Amino acid sequence: MADILLDIQHLTRRFRLGRTASLLAVDDLSLQIHRGEIFGLVGESGSGKSTAARCVMNICRPSAGKVLYRGVDIWNPREFRANRTMLQTSRQLIFQDSASSLDPRMTAAEIIAEPMEIHRVRPPRGSLREEAAFQLRYVGLEPGCLDKYPGQLSGGQRQRVAIARALCMEPELLVADEPIASLDVSIQAQIINLFQHLQAEHGFSILFIAHDLAVVRYLCSRVGVLCRGRLVELAPTGELFDNPVHPYTRSLLSAIPIPDPRLERARVLTPFEPDGFDRAGELAEVSPGHLVLQGGGGV
Amino acid sequence: MTRKNPLFYYARKLALFLLSVFVLSAAVFYISRLAPGDPLVSYYGDRAEKLTVQERQRAEERLGLRDPIHVQYVRWLEGALRGDFGISYKYKMDVTEVIAGRAGNTLILGGTAFALIFAGALALGVVCAWYEDRWPDRLLCRVGTIISCVPEFWLSLVLILVFSVSLRWLPSSGAYSIGSAGSVPDRLVHLILPLTVTVLGHLWYYAYLVRSKLLEEVRSDYVLLAKSKGLTRRSVLLGHCLRSTIPTYLSLMAISVPHILGGTYIVEAVFSYPGLGTLSYESARYQDYNLLMLLCLLSGSVVILCSILARIIGERMDPRLGEAEGWEAAEYE
Amino acid sequence: MSDLLEVKNLSVSFRTPQGELEAVRDVSFSVRAGEVLAIVGESGCGKSVLCRSIMKLLPRDAWIKGGTVLADGTDITAFGQREMERLRGRLFSMVLQDPMTALTPTIPIGKQIAEAVRVHQPRLSRQAVRRRVLELLELVGIDRPEDRCGLCPHSFSGGLRQRVVMSIALASGPKLLFADEPTTALDVTVQAQILDLLRDVQARLGTAAVLVTHDLGVVARAADRVAVMYAGKIVETGTVEEIFYDPRHPYTWGLLRSLPARARQGEPLYTIPGMPPALIDPPMGDAFACRNEYALAIDYQQAPPMFPVSDTHFAATWLLDPRAPRIAPPVGGGFHG
Repeated sequence: MADILLDIQHLTRRFRLGRTASLLAVDDLSLQIHRGEIFGLVGESGSGKSTAARCVMNICRPSAGKVLYRGVDIWNPREFRANRTMLQTSRQLIFQDSASSLDPRMTAAEIIAEPMEIHRVRPPRGSLREEAAFQLRYVGLEPGCLDKYPGQLSGGQRQRVAIARALCMEPELLVADEPIASLDVSIQAQIINLFQHLQAEHGFSILFIAHDLAVVRYLCSRVGVLCRGRLVELAPTGELFDNPVHPYTRSLLSAIPIPDPRLERARVLTPFEPDGFDRAGELAEVSPGHLVLQGGGGV
Repeated sequence: MTRKNPLFYYARKLALFLLSVFVLSAAVFYISRLAPGDPLVSYYGDRAEKLTVQERQRAEERLGLRDPIHVQYVRWLEGALRGDFGISYKYKMDVTEVIAGRAGNTLILGGTAFALIFAGALALGVVCAWYEDRWPDRLLCRVGTIISCVPEFWLSLVLILVFSVSLRWLPSSGAYSIGSAGSVPDRLVHLILPLTVTVLGHLWYYAYLVRSKLLEEVRSDYVLLAKSKGLTRRSVLLGHCLRSTIPTYLSLMAISVPHILGGTYIVEAVFSYPGLGTLSYESARYQDYNLLMLLCLLSGSVVILCSILARIIGERMDPRLGEAEGWEAAEYE
Repeated sequence: MSDLLEVKNLSVSFRTPQGELEAVRDVSFSVRAGEVLAIVGESGCGKSVLCRSIMKLLPRDAWIKGGTVLADGTDITAFGQREMERLRGRLFSMVLQDPMTALTPTIPIGKQIAEAVRVHQPRLSRQAVRRRVLELLELVGIDRPEDRCGLCPHSFSGGLRQRVVMSIALASGPKLLFADEPTTALDVTVQAQILDLLRDVQARLGTAAVLVTHDLGVVARAADRVAVMYAGKIVETGTVEEIFYDPRHPYTWGLLRSLPARARQGEPLYTIPGMPPALIDPPMGDAFACRNEYALAIDYQQAPPMFPVSDTHFAATWLLDPRAPRIAPPVGGGFHG
C-alpha cells in the first residue's frame, strides 16, 4: 500500500437546524488519501462533501471521528499546537468562488505573499514580490496581474491567483472545493490542465470535490461517492465508471450529460430517491479497492 | 437534539428580560448614589442650605440615606417588589403618581412622532425608490441630508424664534395653556412644534434605510421574474419588494423606539414640555433618587422589550430566517 | 411568416466607468413557432443580455443601440414599458438561472402563480384562478399541489423551485419562453429532469423556447437549433446536428474539443488559448482571431460575414470564403467516449 497522507476515520458532523431538527451532514465517513493521488469526492448539493473538506482543513469541528494528517490527529488541540506550522503550511484550500474567497482590497501580489509573511517563510527567490511574480508565471499569468485587484481579474485569472497562493507554501495536500464549477467551459479546461500539470510536477495530493462527473473521471485516480453524508461507494476511477454497483452511483453516472445530440437524447436516467435510502449497512469490498455500502440501499 | 416548545422559548425571553432589568436597577442605583450632589436640596429646596448639622442628620436618617448603599438598595428592592417605589423628594408624593401625571404627555408626543416617522419614512422611501436617481429622488435626498445635519435643539430654537416670537402663531412651551388642560385643539397647537422637531430629526434616517433596502430588493432576481410575468412596475415594487422589506423594517422600528424616545427627551427639555423627559432631567439634576430609579427602569424596560420584540418580529415574519438559515449553515458553515 | 421572433442587427451597450461596453453587437436571428433555439456561449458573451433586451428587462445602465425586434409580426423595437407589460407573460416570459433567488421569498408560491394568471385575465373568478394554479403545478410535475400552494419558496428544493418558476412563466400561455441557464444551478440528476420537462411542456403547448446556456450537454439534450455566440456576436448557427457533427467555426471547434467528457484520461485537455476580449473596446476584425489557431490575415482587419453552409447552417469565419485554404475540421462526427 502506498504511503497514506490523510486518514479520515469515522468522521461525523451534525448541524442543528433551527430549533427542532438536526442534519447529519457527514455520517461516519472513513477514507484514506495516499501521497501523490488525486482523490475525487462527488455527490449532489447537500451531500456533505464541502463539510467533509472543512473538517479536514480544521475549519469545521467534527461531531465525532478523527482526521489524521501525516499521523497527526488534527482535532486534538495538543497535537495541533505542536504541529501548527506544518499543518497550516502543508495543507492548502482552494474555494469554488474565488470572487468571494479573495480579499477584494488586496492585490494579487499581496494575496500570494500573505501566507509566506504569516508563517515567516523566507521567499526562495529573494523578495516576496519576486516570489509572487514567479508563482503567477508558474500558474500561467502575466506579471502584469501582480498589482491588480481581484475585481479587475476574470474568473479564470482569479482562480489561478487562488491556486498560486496555495502553491507558494509548497503544500502536500491541496483541498479543492469545486474549483472549476463557476468557470466557463474553455477556462475550465485550462484550469483542469493546470491542476494536472502541477500535480505531476510537484507530486502533491489533491482532494478534489466536484459534482461534475465528467471532470472527475478525467482528472482523478480514485473516487468516493457521498449520498446525504454517507459514503456509498469508493473505487478506482475506471472501475467506478465501468462497473458502478450502488444504485446512487448508477443514478449519478446516468445523469452525466453527453455533448452529442444523438447519444444524449437516447440517454435514459436511472432514478434514485436519496431521501428514502437506507443508510445502515457497511462498506464491503466487491473487487480490489472497490468498496460499496452493503446491507442498505437495496444492492 | 433539544426540542423546544414555544412556551419554553417565551419563558426564556421573559427570564432574560427580568434579569436585564435587575442588573439595570442595581447599576442605576449605585451610580446615582455615587454621583456628587445633595438629595436634600430637592426635598427642602433652598432651605436645605440653612439646616443645622443635627437637622440634616435627622432628615437623612428619616429618608434612609445614611445606610451603606447596598442596604439602601435591598430596602428599595423589597419595596419595589411590593409595588412601593418610594416617594419623590421634590414632589413629596408617590413616584408612580408623579410619573403617571406626566407619562400621558410623553406618550402623546412620542407615540404621534413614532407613528408619523414610521409612515412618513416608508412613504418617502417608496417615493425615492420609485423615482430612483431622477429629480424627485435627488431632491428628497438632498433636503433630507441637510435637515438631518441640523441639531435638534438648534432647529427647535429657530422654529420658536420664527413661529412663536416673530409670527406669534404657535406657543413656544408647555403642553397646554394654563387653565385649558382638557381642550384638544389647545393641546394640538402645543404639540406642533415639538412634534415637527422630533419627526424631522428622525424621518430621513429611516427613509434612507427604506430606500436602500428597497433598491437592494429591486435589483434581485425575483423582480425580473415578476416583471417577466407581466406585472406592472407598481405592483412589483409595492406587492413584492415592499413586502420583502417590511419584516426588516418592522424589527428596525422596534429597535428604534428608544432612539426616538431619547429624541423626545431632548425636545421636551427645549420646549419645557411637561413629559418624562423633563422629569428625568430634573430628577437626575436634583438627586431625586426614587424618581430617577423608576424613570430609568421604565425607559430601560422599553429599550429591552423593544429589542426582544424586534427579534421576535424578525424571526416570525421572514421565512428566510429560521429554518432556511439552518440549511444554508449546513451547506456552508 | 412562421417566424415568431425576428431580431435584426440588434446592438446593446452598457455604460461603465471605463466607457461604453458593447455587450451585443449587430446580432440577427429568428425563432420559429414551436422550436427550441439554444444560444451557447461563455459568460460575458452577451447571451443573457440579448434575451433581456428583447423583453426590455435590461438594467438602467444599458440601452439598445440599434436594430429591430419583430415579435409575432409586430415591431416592438420602440415599445415603452407600458406596452411591454402587456406583452410580457402573454407573448413571452422567462425562466431564470437561480431558482433560489428567482421567487419572492415572502410570498406563498400559490399566490405568486395566481398573480401571473391574473395579470392577463383580471376578470377570472377566484375558483377559476385556483383551478388554473393547480393545473399549472400539475403541468410542471409537482404532486400534491393543493398542499403545496400555501408554502413559501424556502420549503422547496432547487428542482421544485425551478418547476414553480416554470409554472409562473407558463401561466399566461406565452408563445415564447426565454430560459436563461435554467439548469446551471441545479444538481446533475435534477438537470436532465428539468430539461425533459421543458421539452415535454414545450412540445405539448407548442411554445417556442430560447435556451441560453454555456453547457453543450444541455444543448445536445434539448435544442432544435443552435446559435453560438462569442464576444457579443453570433458566430455560427445551425441545427443541433449540424453544430455537433459538422461545425465550421473555429470557436465551435474549440468549445467541443475542450470538453472533459470527450477527452481520454492521461491526455491533456484541449484548451482555447487566451481569454475572451474585453468588449469595452472590441478588437478590429474577428474578435476571435487572436485565440484562433486557424486565423487568416484578413481576420485581423475585417469581421467576417455570415457564410452559408447549408439552408439552415451559417458561420462567420473567413475559412468558408472560397479563397481561403481548405482546413480539415479537428472535430465533428460526434462523440468518441
